[in-house]
Amino acid sequence: MEAVRTDFTGYEGQYVAIDARTGRIVLANEDLLALLEEVKGHDHVSVRGRVPYADEPLYHFGLG
Amino acid sequence: MADTPPLPWLYPYREDAQSLRLGQPVYRPFVYVSLAYGDQSVWNLDGLIDTGADAVLASSLLAVPLGIDLDDNEGEQDHGVGGRVLTARYKTVGLHLHPSDSSQGTYIEWEAQVGFVESWHSDGLVLLGSVGFLDEFTVTASRFAQAVAVEDRDAFDERFGTVLSA
Repeated sequence: MEAVRTDFTGYEGQYVAIDARTGRIVLANEDLLALLEEVKGHDHVSVRGRVPYADEPLYHFGLG
Repeated sequence: MADTPPLPWLYPYREDAQSLRLGQPVYRPFVYVSLAYGDQSVWNLDGLIDTGADAVLASSLLAVPLGIDLDDNEGEQDHGVGGRVLTARYKTVGLHLHPSDSSQGTYIEWEAQVGFVESWHSDGLVLLGSVGFLDEFTVTASRFAQAVAVEDRDAFDERFGTVLSA
């Protein structure tokens, strides 16, 4: 398989919803709860999270 | 619910907006999950599989549309996440796993305690750790294949035999 790329440019500071089939951002909003309302009825779309600004620290997950 | 295709379900690795490594994009094993509580649900969330995580964690913001009162929780626990110490308030909710096209009508469901965390730095994400996810499925991740496979939880024993501690 090939990893799915997404161009997050221009969406900094916003929560984004991505089409799972293409990797393309289809919805964005600075308010997560508003975005969750917007994605209702959009099949094949998932909410990824907030796109950081370039000067924000990068967080890495993992509890291990 | 649509007919659920049999496991394994395969998911390509996906680019993470949160991270760069040496200036290059980071690809991670994301799957698609929904949360449900009572007659409320939050669909279409990206779940990050994390074998280093003890539990399933999510933003406390998600408790709002689910109608969960986090003051009425099943326990609190501090976790170290991303270099910070965060307090998770646990509540048992329904989880749905969707296939790689994120089809809402197709899912496998189970229940687990989810730790809801304030100030989650990526509020849309659900962190899928050991208790609540990796005890429900056998997960095989390959950065070489750039994909993750989710199978029945018995698949590991069927493939390798039951591993007993020494």
